[in-house]
Amino acid sequence: MKTPPGAAGPQVDYRHPWVVRLWHWANAGAVVVLLMTGLLLFDIHPRLYWGDDGHAGMPAFLAVDAMDVTSATPRFSLQLGGHHWDVTGIIGTIVDEGDSGKYVLIANPPDDWQFGATRGWHFMFAWLLGLSLPAYALYLLVSGRLRDRLLPTRAELSARSIGHELSQHLRMRRARGEASRHYNILQKASYLSVIGVLIPLAILSGFTMSNAMTAVFPGLIALFGGHQSARSVHFMVAMLLGLFLLVHVFQVLVSGFTNLMRSMITGRFVVEPEELP
Amino acid sequence: MNDRISRRALLGGLAATGGLLAGCSRFDDKAPFRQLLAASDGFTLHVQRMLLANRPLVRELSLAELSKAFPMNGTTLPKGDYYKRLLDGDFRDWKLRVHGLVDRPLALSLAQLQSLPSRTQITMHACDEGWTAVGQWTGVPLAQVLSASGLRPGARYIVFHCLDKMELDGNYYYESLDLVDALHPQTILAYGMNGKPLPTGYGAPLRLRVETQIGYKNAKYVDRIEVVDRLTSFGKGRGGWWEDFDNAVWYAGQ
Repeated sequence: MKTPPGAAGPQVDYRHPWVVRLWHWANAGAVVVLLMTGLLLFDIHPRLYWGDDGHAGMPAFLAVDAMDVTSATPRFSLQLGGHHWDVTGIIGTIVDEGDSGKYVLIANPPDDWQFGATRGWHFMFAWLLGLSLPAYALYLLVSGRLRDRLLPTRAELSARSIGHELSQHLRMRRARGEASRHYNILQKASYLSVIGVLIPLAILSGFTMSNAMTAVFPGLIALFGGHQSARSVHFMVAMLLGLFLLVHVFQVLVSGFTNLMRSMITGRFVVEPEELP
Repeated sequence: MNDRISRRALLGGLAATGGLLAGCSRFDDKAPFRQLLAASDGFTLHVQRMLLANRPLVRELSLAELSKAFPMNGTTLPKGDYYKRLLDGDFRDWKLRVHGLVDRPLALSLAQLQSLPSRTQITMHACDEGWTAVGQWTGVPLAQVLSASGLRPGARYIVFHCLDKMELDGNYYYESLDLVDALHPQTILAYGMNGKPLPTGYGAPLRLRVETQIGYKNAKYVDRIEVVDRLTSFGKGRGGWWEDFDNAVWYAGQ
């Protein structure tokens, strides 16, 4: 860290208490594992439907399909709504599971892939995600961190302020000085969406895919509109979480990687001096 | 399967696998990863047992919601002369055997099973692959058969031995349930589907419907029911064919 000549040294904020750091890294790991195992699970039936009933031969709103599964050189299509694209050579492969039939996959899994175990791993990390979320939400509320750091202020919600933040973002100008000590409105909105909307939706739509869970909580079926609807929501939420992950990592890389990583590991964030006009 | 979660295994394992990227299934067969999977599955079992303490019924659907073409998956026709002979004789020579830790071993013909009080239910089958289908199942509640045989002290698991040999490893399909799932009122031994005799492709003469569970627990072609105190003497000791072959979770968290 460069210290401006004559200054008393950089100001260091204790930005992230240990609860925040622990939750962040545990869930970062969980989300990565859940996305990977989730994609492997999706791979064996890459079709999405609405309602309760959904299987091969039924109309899907998103599907990777082979035009002829038995052909030696099958052609693959990607269907989204009423649109079809020939994606042969880009995605699509066929795996022969003997008695269990032939499956159209998006991509070949590793040779030693165990499908059943993948589901077990997915559930294990889902527990980590699902159990730590309510605990963390309670912490955010009780500690005042939700109000102090995450909820937008009235001033931040003005069109002018949002416009300013957007333009700073698009020009890749990072905050320095006092402004860097707080999350900006775009950070607040994305963190709140992940904690308050995406992860809860992922958990609830996951529960809805279980006959046992919907026996205990019949409201889940009403909420999502059926098993397959819940599966589709689960998939879309996963894609949004994946998108968040990519953008989040990109932002850390371009906005002072060392400082941001240090703050999420040790808690200490160095406030960079304002740029001289 | 030890359904008691080992706290130490869980915590130790979680620490050991902090950086594990799942899907690297070469790990799945090795300790402590397999114990870790088992511990996580055991945790799911205990949480669901707590939530399902009042034994709620799984949602039943209407005739209008029946799937037009219920997928036929897994084995669709067991190989070998034995099954062919049974099929040719309309299963008249076949008997369901119930043995193990029971007071009265049973051998019940299809006609005898059909003469017992039956239950018909329209439910949604959920395969772990991601597809679902709605079917109407008619059969005898497993609880009824087990009350006819009686359970001896120490009876903890019900093992279902099947008639179909799996091509992938040459072993016969089998599955198992604990007594909570086995005695659930919607757990039936089905001999009818969609108002007709159970077709060959769906598991004739008899298949298990365990509606609180995921697809692969619903064993087809059930031939023999064995009541046991532990699952270690079958296959690799994990409680089912998919569990042995593919490290699928035993309780399955459904």
